[in-house]
Amino acid sequence: MARPASSKPPAARPSPPPKGPAPTQVPKPKATKRKDDYSSEGVDDNDVFLLPGSDFQLVLAITVLAAAVRLFRISQPTSVVFDEVHFGGFASKYIKGRFFMDVHPPLAKLLITLFGWLAGFDGNFDFKDIGKDYLEPGVPYVAMRMFPAICGILLAPTMFLTLKGAGCRTSTAAMGAGLVIFENGLLTQARLILLDSPLMIATGFTALAFTCFTNQQELGPSRAFGLSWWFWLVMTGLGLGITLSIKWVGLFTIAWVGALTLVQLWVLWGNYKNVTIRIFTKHFLARVFCLIVIPLTFYMAMFGIHFLCLVNPGDGDGFMSSEFQSTLNSKGMQSVPADILMGSRVSIRHVNTQGGYLHSHPLMYPTGSKQQQITLYPHKDDNNLWLLENQTQPLDVHGEPINGTNAWYNLPELPYISNGAILRLYHLPTHRRLHSHDVRPPVTEADWQNEVSAYGYEGFDGDANDFFRVEIVKKKSKSGVAQERLRTIDTKFRLVHVMTGCVLFSHKVKLPDWASEQQEVTCARGGTLPNSLWYIESNDHPKLGPDAERVNYANPGFFGKFWELQKVMWKTNAGLVESHAWDSRPPSWPILRRGINFWGKDHRQIYLIGNPIIWFSATAAVLLYVLFKGIAVLRWQRSCNDYSIPVLKRFDYEIGSSVLGWALHYFPFYLMQRQLFLHHYFPALYFGIMAFCQVFDFVTARISGIGLRENPIVNRAGAISFLVLSMAAFTLLSPLAYGNPWTKAECNRVKLFSTWDWDCNTFLDSYDAYNTVPSIPAAAQTPLQSAKGQQPPVAGGQQGQVPMADILKPGVSGAPLAPNQRLLHTEERVEYRDQDGNLLDEEQVKALEGKVEFKTRYETRTRVVDADGNEVLLPAGEQVPEQKAQEDAAEGVAPPHPDVEGANSETPKRVVADEEIPEPKQSVEGEKEREGKAAKPASEKNEASAKVDGEL
Amino acid sequence: MASGYDRAAVVSGADLGDAARRRNVPGTPQQVLVPQPQGDDKKKAPKQPSVLDVLDQWEWVISPIVFTALAFFTRFYKIGLSPIVTWDEAHFGKFGSHYLKREFYFDPPAGKLLVGLSGYLAGYNGSFEFKSGETYPPEINYTFMRQFNAFWGAVCVPMAYWTAKELNLRRAAVWLVTLMVLCENSYTTISRFILLDSMLLFGTVATTLCWAKFHNQRRNSFEPEWFFWLFMTGLSIGFVTSVKLVGLFVTALVGLYTIEDLWNKFGDIKMPIPVLAAHVAARVVGLIILPFLVYLLSFAIHFAVLTNSGPGDAQMSSLFQANLRGTEVGRDSPLEVAYGSQVTIKNMGYGGGLLHSHVQTYPEGSSQQQVTCYHHKDANNNWFFYPNRRDAPYDPTADPRFIADGETIRLLHAQTGRNLHSHQIAAPVSKSQWEVSSYGNATIGDEKDHWKVEVVSDAASRDRSKIRTLTTGFRLKHEVLGCYLRAGNVNLPQWGFKQIEVTCTKENNPRDTYTHWNIESHTNEKLPPGDPGQYKSPFLKDFIHLNVAMMTSNNALVPDPDKQDDLASQWWQWPILNVGLRMCSWDDKIVKYFLLGNPLVYWGSTAGLGVFALLLVWYVLRWQRGYRELSHAEIDQIHYAGLYPVAGWFLHYLPFVIMARVTYVHHYYPALYFAILTFGFLADWFLRNQKVAVQSGVYALLYTALVGLYVYFMPICWGMTGPNKDYSYMKWFDSWRMSDA
Repeated sequence: MARPASSKPPAARPSPPPKGPAPTQVPKPKATKRKDDYSSEGVDDNDVFLLPGSDFQLVLAITVLAAAVRLFRISQPTSVVFDEVHFGGFASKYIKGRFFMDVHPPLAKLLITLFGWLAGFDGNFDFKDIGKDYLEPGVPYVAMRMFPAICGILLAPTMFLTLKGAGCRTSTAAMGAGLVIFENGLLTQARLILLDSPLMIATGFTALAFTCFTNQQELGPSRAFGLSWWFWLVMTGLGLGITLSIKWVGLFTIAWVGALTLVQLWVLWGNYKNVTIRIFTKHFLARVFCLIVIPLTFYMAMFGIHFLCLVNPGDGDGFMSSEFQSTLNSKGMQSVPADILMGSRVSIRHVNTQGGYLHSHPLMYPTGSKQQQITLYPHKDDNNLWLLENQTQPLDVHGEPINGTNAWYNLPELPYISNGAILRLYHLPTHRRLHSHDVRPPVTEADWQNEVSAYGYEGFDGDANDFFRVEIVKKKSKSGVAQERLRTIDTKFRLVHVMTGCVLFSHKVKLPDWASEQQEVTCARGGTLPNSLWYIESNDHPKLGPDAERVNYANPGFFGKFWELQKVMWKTNAGLVESHAWDSRPPSWPILRRGINFWGKDHRQIYLIGNPIIWFSATAAVLLYVLFKGIAVLRWQRSCNDYSIPVLKRFDYEIGSSVLGWALHYFPFYLMQRQLFLHHYFPALYFGIMAFCQVFDFVTARISGIGLRENPIVNRAGAISFLVLSMAAFTLLSPLAYGNPWTKAECNRVKLFSTWDWDCNTFLDSYDAYNTVPSIPAAAQTPLQSAKGQQPPVAGGQQGQVPMADILKPGVSGAPLAPNQRLLHTEERVEYRDQDGNLLDEEQVKALEGKVEFKTRYETRTRVVDADGNEVLLPAGEQVPEQKAQEDAAEGVAPPHPDVEGANSETPKRVVADEEIPEPKQSVEGEKEREGKAAKPASEKNEASAKVDGEL
Repeated sequence: MASGYDRAAVVSGADLGDAARRRNVPGTPQQVLVPQPQGDDKKKAPKQPSVLDVLDQWEWVISPIVFTALAFFTRFYKIGLSPIVTWDEAHFGKFGSHYLKREFYFDPPAGKLLVGLSGYLAGYNGSFEFKSGETYPPEINYTFMRQFNAFWGAVCVPMAYWTAKELNLRRAAVWLVTLMVLCENSYTTISRFILLDSMLLFGTVATTLCWAKFHNQRRNSFEPEWFFWLFMTGLSIGFVTSVKLVGLFVTALVGLYTIEDLWNKFGDIKMPIPVLAAHVAARVVGLIILPFLVYLLSFAIHFAVLTNSGPGDAQMSSLFQANLRGTEVGRDSPLEVAYGSQVTIKNMGYGGGLLHSHVQTYPEGSSQQQVTCYHHKDANNNWFFYPNRRDAPYDPTADPRFIADGETIRLLHAQTGRNLHSHQIAAPVSKSQWEVSSYGNATIGDEKDHWKVEVVSDAASRDRSKIRTLTTGFRLKHEVLGCYLRAGNVNLPQWGFKQIEVTCTKENNPRDTYTHWNIESHTNEKLPPGDPGQYKSPFLKDFIHLNVAMMTSNNALVPDPDKQDDLASQWWQWPILNVGLRMCSWDDKIVKYFLLGNPLVYWGSTAGLGVFALLLVWYVLRWQRGYRELSHAEIDQIHYAGLYPVAGWFLHYLPFVIMARVTYVHHYYPALYFAILTFGFLADWFLRNQKVAVQSGVYALLYTALVGLYVYFMPICWGMTGPNKDYSYMKWFDSWRMSDA
C-alpha cells in the first residue's frame, strides 16, 4: 500500500497507535509514491477482515452481551404493543395472501412474516388493538419479535466494526458498541414487532460497508478494483437496497452514500495528473453499477415477492386502479363486448376515485327532491346496471316508434353511440332514469353542484331532465375507434346534463348513514375533469354475440403494478398529516424532549425514551463538529493554512462524513408535513453516536499536542467510565423499556424533565405490591382494551394506555358493553374508588351516596369481573347520568396509530361500506348485494373490521 | 447589427471597466474616436457616415428614449377601450376605494396606496364597488387609473436597457434584452390594467438595476456614487416588498450577493478590520434598515389614512378597533365586567377571532356543540359571565359583583344557553390538546364548566381586582384539567365551516398570546357606560400584529379541490407557455384580453436556462480537470451577468413550486425577467467572438422574430373586439384558449 512519503512532514503523520489493543496496520510497503498514485494523505488500511483475533473475540463478547440485554424477558408484555397492531397484522395478511396497502416497502414485513410462519403462525389473529392478549390465542409472538431482536443484537457488533473501519481504537469501538447496547430507545424498538430495528441494522450495515469501501478507496490505486474494494462496494449497494426496501428513510442513506461518492469522484476527476479518463470511467461505472443498479434491482425484487405473496383481494384494493385490481384472484373479469350500442346493459364506473359503479337503490334522499338515491357503490351488483337508451325511441320500418326498453334489440343496423350522442340512462332494477335538476345535493351544498336522482316509474317516458350527452374525452381514451364512439373500458367520457349543462360528477365524499356511507354523486358545473370522467366496465347486448369483439383490462405487468404502487404509497405517505397525541416535530428530537407511549397495562408501562447521556452526547458531538467546521471555514477564508495538517484534514473528513450522515437523516424531516415521531430520529442518532465516538477517538488518541495521545490509558479509562455512566442511566430508565415493575417514587425520581410525559401514577407504590396485586387487572384489562374505542385519550391515548390515575378518579363509572363481547356469565361487581385510588367498600359508598355525585366520566370504567376473571364492561346507561351519555357515546375517539394509518383515512370507511351497504333493507332488490353479504367468509369480515378499528 | 468596430470597442471597454461607459457624457474622448460607418442602427441610418457616427455616439441616450417611447405607446394605446372591470381590477380597485373612504382593511399596503392615489388623482370618490365584469360608471376616470399603472410597466423597458448595459452586455445584446422586455405580450397586457403586477415588476426591475449599478461601483467603495446606489437598492427593496411579499425574493437575491461580497472582503486579509466593519455597517444600514423603514412607512401611511371602521377590523386587536371611527367596539361599554355581563371575547393572538359557538355539533369526539373562533361578528359570539356552581347562583336583582383576577367563573353561551366546557377528549384537529365544547345549560353541568380567570396584562390599570373591557388580557384556565383555553390558527374542516379550532392546551406557557383573551364588547344594564377605548395601542404593536396576522391568515385560503379553476395554472406550465389566462368573460360583444406571453421570449428564455446550466457544468468540469481557459474577467462576467440572473430566476420561481396555494400565470413574470437577462447573457457570450456577419444575422433574426411575434399576438394585449372566432389564427395549441374555435 502506497503512502505518500515525501509530501508531508513526519511529525504530522498519524502514527499507528503506540501499542494498545489495535495493531490494525498491515505492514506498509515503504515504496515512494507511484506516479499515478491518487491515495489520500494520512490514511491507514483499516480493513476489518485484517483485524487481529482479539478483536473478533471482542466482537463475539459484544454480541453475547447485546443478546443478553435485548432478549431479557422478550416475551413481556404478552399482549399487542403499539405498532405491532400494524406489522403483526400485515404478517397475517401476507400469510392469507390478502392484498393490503402500506406506506412502507415490504422487506421487513416479509421477514417478520417469515419468522411467524416458521413458528407456526397461521394468520388467524388480527392484532386488532394495543393490549390484545397473545397468550390465549397462541400467537407465536416471541418468534416474531425475535427478528427485530436479532437485528437489534447485530447492531452492536456492526457499530464496533464500523468504528474500527473508520480507524478508531478498539476501546473506542467497544465503547460505541456498548452505547448501542445500552441505548434505551434502540432497545425498546428492538424488542417489539416493529420496522425500526431492521431499518437500523440495514442502515448500520450500509454505513459499515461504505466506511470500509471509503477506506479502501482512499488507499489509492493499490487497492482500487481489488477484492476488498469490490466486496465493500457491492455490499454498500446491497445495504442501500435493503435499507430502502424496509422504509423509504433509506433514501436518506442513499443521499449520504451518494453525496460522499460524488465527493470521491470529484476528487478523482480533479486529480488530472494521476487519474486518466479511462481510470475515471472505470471508477464511475463501478459505482453506477453497484450503487444504482444493485439497490434498484433489489428493491424491485422485494416488490416482486410482495406481489407473489399477495394474490387475493384484500382491504388494500380500494387504493389501486381497476387494472391493478383485475390482477388479483377473483377480481379479474371475463372479457366483455367492446362496442356499446343503444340498448346495451352496462355498468358505469368512476375513473378517478375507487368509489365504484354508478348505483341506485330503492331508497329516497331524505333531503332535496326526496327522489331515489344515486350513489357510487364499490361492488358488482344488479343495482349497478343501466340500460342506455337513445333520446328518442327508434323507428321501425313503418316509421313508427318502437316502444319498450328492448326496442333496440332488433334494429337492422348496429346503433353505435358516437361522441355527442344524447342518452337516457335507465336503471333496470327500479325502472327509473338517471335524472338531475336544480336542487342542491345532500352533502355538498355548493351552488355549482346539482343533485342527481333516479326518477320515473315503469312505462314512464321520462322528461327532458333525463337527457345526458356523451362527451368522449379523447386524451384519456385509447386511440382509434374508442375516441369516436363509446367502447367498453377504452373510452373515457363525460356525461353532460343537457338541460343545465352540468356534468355527472363524483368525489371522495361519503353520504351519511341513510345511504350506507356510499359515495356521493352530483352534477357539477365546472367540476375538475378527472372527477367527471366515467367509463363502462360491463356491457351486454343481444346483438353482440359470443363472437363479437371483446376487450378486457390491460394487464399492467410487473412494472406497471410496481410503479402504480409506488405512486399510491407516496401519496398516502404525504397524506398522513393528521396530528397524533404522541407525535413530535424534529426540533424536539436531538434534545430528547418527549417520547412515545407504547403500551400500558397491569401497572406497567412501555414508553419509548432514549438514554439521555448517549442522546445528549451525540448531539453535543454534532454541535462540536459544526463549531469546528465554522471556525475552520472562517480561518480558511482568512488564508490560515490549517488544512495542511493531515490529522486536521482527517478529522474534518471523517467526522464530517458521520455528521453528514446525521444531517441527511435528520433535516429532511423538517420538510415533511406528515406526522412524525421520536423513532424517526434513530438513524440520525446512530450517526450521531458514531460521530461522538470518532471525536472521542481523535481527542484521546490521534490529535497530538494535547497530551492525551501519548497516554493510551486515557482512551481506555475514558471509554470505560463513559460506558459505565451510560449503563447507569440505562438501568434507571430500563423499566420503561422492558415493561418491568417500577415504583412511583423511582419513576418520579428519574423524570428529569416535565416534558417526559410517561405517567408515574401507573406504577404501584412498592415492588412488593406487584406480587400481591390480584390477577384482576392483569387479565381484566385485556378485554377492556380490545373493546372498540374504549381507550381514553387521557394520557395521550395511545391505544392500550390506561393511566391508572384516570381510572381511579372519583366516582362510578359506566361504559358500554363492547358489542361483540362474549361472556360465559357475568357477575356484576362495581368497584368504587375515591380520588386517591382507594377502593371503597359498600358501606362507604352508601355513606357517600347523595353527598357526592357519582358521575360516569368518559375516562372512567366500571370494572365488572366475571367468574373466569374476565372483565366485562357494564352496558351504558346503567349508571350513566343522562347528561353524560353523550360523552360516552363519543368514546370512539381513538387517536390513530402512527405511521401507517394514512392508509386508513379512506380505507376504513370504504371497508365499512363494503360490509354494511348490502343490508337488504337498503338495497331491497339488489340480489347480488344480499348474496355478497352472505357469501363473504367470516374471516374477511374480521379483516375488514380490524382495519377499521385498529388503524383508524 | 453590431458593427465590427462596436465589438472591439466594447470588448476593450469592458476590460477598461464600466466607469468609462457610465460616464458617458457627450464629448468624452473614447466616444469620439470612432468614425466607423456600419449599418448597426436599425433606426434607419442615413447614408452619411457623420450622421451615423453621431447616432453611434449618442446611442446611449437615443436608444432609451426610443425604447421608452415605444413602451409608452404599446402600454398606453387604446388603454380605455374596455369600459368594464377586468379580472383582478375588482380586487385592487376595491382596495383603492377603501383608501378613499378611509375604511380599515387588511393587506400589504404600498401598491394599493398607489392605486388609491391614482383614484384620488382621477377624482374618484371611492363609491364604486368594482364588481368583476361591471361597466365603469361615467364619473370614474378609469382610463387615468389604468394609465397610472401602465406607467410603471412602461418604465421597466428603459430600466431593462440600463441593467443589461450594467451587466456588461454588448450593444446588440442590450437591445435584445430591451426588446424582449418591450415585445413581451404578457408584460404589456398586465401593465394595462389596475393591478399591482406592473408595480411589482417595476420594483423587481429597479432593484436589479440598482444592484447592478452598485456592483459596478465596487472599486469605488464609500464614494458618493457608491452610497447613492447602495441606498437606491435599499429604497427599491423597500418599495417592492411593500407592494407584494413576492418582493422578498429579489431581496433574497441582493442578500445573496451581499453575503458573497462580504465573504470575499472577509477573505481579503489585506483589508483592515475597520474597513471591513464599515462595509458591513453600510450594508446593514442601506439594505436592512432603510428598506425596513420604507416598509414601516407604508404601514404608517396605511394606519394614518384608514381611520374608519372597515372590513379588516376583526383581524386587529380590540383596542385598535376601538380607535377606528364608526366602530361598535367599545362604544358605550361599561368599563368593568361583572357577573351577568354579556360580552364577546376576543383572542389576542395574531389575527385572532371571537370566541364563538353554534348549534352544530362535533361530528366526532364528544359530539357536543362546537366551540370555534370566528372573525365575523354575530350574536353567536355573545357569552354571559356566570358564577361557578359552588358559588351562589347569579341573582339578577342584586348589585353587580365584579370579577377579579383568579376567580373561577362559568361562561354561558347567550344563544344556546350552554356552558363553555372541556373534557379529556382529544381535540378534533390538534389531537394532543383537549376538545372544548358547549354543554349543558344554566343548571345542568359539572365542574368541567369552570374556568379560572388569570389576568396577564392590563393596559389601563394595575388594579387586578376587576376585569376591564378591551384593556385586560387574561387567560382562562380549566379548573379540573388545568389546561388553558386556546385558539391557534388551525382551521376546522368543512363541518366546522373552516372556522378556527378552539382547544384546551395542556401546556402552560404564559407568553403564548393565543391563550390570551380580552373582552371586546360588553353590555350590562346595571353598569354605567364608559369609554374603554381611550387607550391607544402603540403603532409598532399594530404593525407587528397586522403583519403576523397577514402571514398566518393567508394560509387559510384553500380552494375547493373539486372545482375546476380555469384561471389557475401550475408552475410547470409557465416556462413552457402552456397556458394563458382569460381576463374577462368571452362574450362576443365585449373587448377581450388574454394573458399570454411572446412565445419566443418564453421558450427562448427557458431554453436559455438549460443552456446556461450546461455551459456552467462544462466549464466547471473542465476547470476541475485543470483547464484554465477563462480569464478572470470572463469568469466575472459569467458570475455576475449569468449566474446571478439565474439565481434570481430560481428565487422567484422555486417558491411557487413549493407553495401549496393556487398559482396563476402572472406569478411567473418576475422570474421571466431574470430568464430574459440570462438569455441576453448567453446571446452575448456565444456571439461575442463570432464573425460580424454571423452576429448581424443572428441578432437580426432574433429582433425580427421578436417584433413579428409581438405584433402577431398584439390583439390579445390591445383587446380583441368582435367574435372570438376571428382570432383563432393565434390559437396554436388547444390550451391557448383565446378562441373557442
